[in-house]
Amino acid sequence: MAERRADCSWKRHISDQLKLRDRVQRHTFEEIVQQYNRLLEKSDLQAVLTERYQTEKYDVQRGHEASSLDASRSDSLHQEMSQMRIRHQEELTELHKKRGELAQTVIELNNQIQQKDREIQSNEARMLEYQQQIASLEGDCRDLRNSLQELEMANQTLKDEYDALQITFSALEEKLRKTSEDNQELVSRWMAEKALEANRLNAENEKDTRRRQAKLQKDLADAAKEPLPIEQDDDIEVLAEDGGKGAGETSPNRPISRTASRKTSQQPQGGLLDSISNIFGRRSANSFSTSPETTEPPSGGCAEVRVPTTALHVFEAHDGEVNTVRFSPGSRLLATGGMDRRVKLWEVVAGRCEAKGALTGSNAGITSIDFDSAGSYLLAASNDFASRIWTMDDYRLRHTLTGHSGKVLSARFLLDNARIVSGSYDRTLKLWDLRSKVCMKTVFAGSSCNDIVCTEQCVMSGHFDKKVRFWDIRAESIVREMELLGRVTSLDLNHDRSELLTCSRDDVLQIIDLRSNAVRQTFSAQGFKCGADWTRVTFSPDGSYVAGGSADGALYVWNVLTGKLDRTLDRNHSSAINSVSWSPSGTYVASVEKGSRAILWSDM
Amino acid sequence: MADDKDVLRDVWFGRIPTCFTLNPDEVTEREAEAYYLLLPRVSYLPVVTDKVKKHFLKVMRAEDVEEMWFEYEGTPLKWHYPIGVLFDLHASNTVLPWNITVHFKNFPDQDLLHCPSNSIVEAHFMSSIKEADALKHKSQVVNDMQKKDHKQLWMGLQNDKFDQFWAMNRKLMEYPTEDGGFRYIPFRIYQTLSDRPFIQKLFRPVSPDCNAHTLGDLLKEMYPDALTNDGERKRYQVLIHGIEPLLETPLQWLSEHLSHPDNFLHICVVPVPTD
Repeated sequence: MAERRADCSWKRHISDQLKLRDRVQRHTFEEIVQQYNRLLEKSDLQAVLTERYQTEKYDVQRGHEASSLDASRSDSLHQEMSQMRIRHQEELTELHKKRGELAQTVIELNNQIQQKDREIQSNEARMLEYQQQIASLEGDCRDLRNSLQELEMANQTLKDEYDALQITFSALEEKLRKTSEDNQELVSRWMAEKALEANRLNAENEKDTRRRQAKLQKDLADAAKEPLPIEQDDDIEVLAEDGGKGAGETSPNRPISRTASRKTSQQPQGGLLDSISNIFGRRSANSFSTSPETTEPPSGGCAEVRVPTTALHVFEAHDGEVNTVRFSPGSRLLATGGMDRRVKLWEVVAGRCEAKGALTGSNAGITSIDFDSAGSYLLAASNDFASRIWTMDDYRLRHTLTGHSGKVLSARFLLDNARIVSGSYDRTLKLWDLRSKVCMKTVFAGSSCNDIVCTEQCVMSGHFDKKVRFWDIRAESIVREMELLGRVTSLDLNHDRSELLTCSRDDVLQIIDLRSNAVRQTFSAQGFKCGADWTRVTFSPDGSYVAGGSADGALYVWNVLTGKLDRTLDRNHSSAINSVSWSPSGTYVASVEKGSRAILWSDM
Repeated sequence: MADDKDVLRDVWFGRIPTCFTLNPDEVTEREAEAYYLLLPRVSYLPVVTDKVKKHFLKVMRAEDVEEMWFEYEGTPLKWHYPIGVLFDLHASNTVLPWNITVHFKNFPDQDLLHCPSNSIVEAHFMSSIKEADALKHKSQVVNDMQKKDHKQLWMGLQNDKFDQFWAMNRKLMEYPTEDGGFRYIPFRIYQTLSDRPFIQKLFRPVSPDCNAHTLGDLLKEMYPDALTNDGERKRYQVLIHGIEPLLETPLQWLSEHLSHPDNFLHICVVPVPTD
């Protein structure tokens, strides 16, 4: 407040002083000076006017010479004034123009400035943008580098883990190898033990049977020494000398009664012995052939084997190729199977084959036929991927075993007649159970199976890849493999299942001893050529001969003991022989050819 | 404040009654009467004396007329000082009207500058304004003004248009509030008996401890003789626009309101008249 008052005091002082000054200096003189100036103007004007009038008076007095001067004087004054006015107006207009021009330049400069300002702003904005971009890019770069580092670290750890795993893997592999080696060793040792065991058992059995045989012989000898009443009979037949002209089937009982009438000859005795031992069906007696001195080692067959020499009966068996032929276990029936999808049954009567019937039901050609050991069932394998079983009593189709995915090339009954094993083009073997009629096991053999044979423990199969595979039935796995030189087309076992006959595409028949697993004999002949992949060869029932058909239609018979070709029967077949079968009685041999013919041979 | 506006108006419209008498030595056709005129304190002699010239040229012959110049009691009057300053300096306590003698011959080249046209006066006026603004605002304000604004200032002064002049001049009187005042106060202290034309130095309106400087501070700093010490008789009068402001008047306020149109605070220190 004091300040305000102090302010006011000096301010008031100043304004008072100013007012005082004005009053003294201005107001007192203002009016006077104005009036004075007006008076001055008036007096000037008066002076001018009086001058003019005076001059006019002079002019009027003097005449016109001076008037112009005066007039000009006043005129000049006016002119001066108007000139001045004009000049002033000109100046004014010029100044206006200049002002307009200056305003224009000002406007233009302003516009330019604004433009420049805008450019500057946009440049700054762009710079800001770029800076932001740079910042974001730097951020991204940093992030990428970080992620890269992380990835490298992860990679490194993975590599380390991989190395560690690699090491453990190799160690485990090593262990596995060692254990599998050990396993192999143990298995082989076990097999060896088993083989030894089997050998031992075999030897014991042999001993046993020999003992029994000896005993029996002794008994028989004793019995024979006893005189017996014998009647002369018409129909006494001596088996030894005649070739079985009549019935192909010799009943085991007749020889006993017949030969009981003979006492003297050694041979009937042998025949009695033979026939008696035939009851037991195991021991192979001396086989009777045209060379009686042959003492052949006991080989399969209960009958007197006759080497065929002549074709007894040539007949058309099927429409089309005949693939397979088999005698029934009783040697009375002959079954043939062909591409006409039928199995035809023939009764062998007096050297001729009478058509007995035909088994239908297959949808494609028959590849193989097997009878069960009783002869009551017939098993046929077919190209329609299935195997079929008919009963022999009524020729009715009982079972169809499907499951293969390729042609079934061979099917056999196992020795217990309750199971069937079949081999197929689809490289598998299937084991079927007849009770449940399902496939119990399928083993992959690796190659198409052309033929199968069975023993008590073992199934042997011959394959396209030249190998014969031995399968253990119980273990259902391969026991052994043997490699031949050509595709295996046929397998056959001899009567006591100790030898295996193989036929292969290198036109060679081989006998393999099953106990030693070595090829014992090889049979070949010039001109013998295996006609097809399913050409079947056969042992004689006593195992002393092997017979096989060739591609040129000739039947070759080799002697096992000598190993040489015994006979060639070549004028009867017109095309390649597909299959040969020897009757279990030994009297007949049947062969079938590609050209729908079947021939029954014997030695008459 | 309304008072300030009044102060500005009073300052602007200040007049000095003057009597122009032709020098008796001048050759005239007839006798010339004296010409009385109320001269504006804030203007300059060449601007306002056209009528005087015209008046006296009426009685003179053209060949005798050279550049007109004025003198008072033997002292040639410098046309580049504002009229009020001339009066306060030379004739402040004399009898009014102020008697000025008009000369048309014998121009004193040593004492006076030639002034062939009003544009010279304009140039001088603008230069003073710029100098003042240099002191006040480091020339920022006057340089921001456009040519037309400068012209407006001059035209306002020339045509005696208070509003026109102050529309522009108020920009020159502004200052940023945080400074408390101008950078330096533009002032000139004129003395009667000195070979220096005037005293002009840098002086801040606000002291470093934020006290406003007063007229007394300025005088103490610049011309301490002008101040009366206690007990002494007053020897000098400190005149601005013909009045003696109190010594405690703030200098900033004085510069804003009591400056001349050329933005300078012209201070005349004259001896107290001894009647």
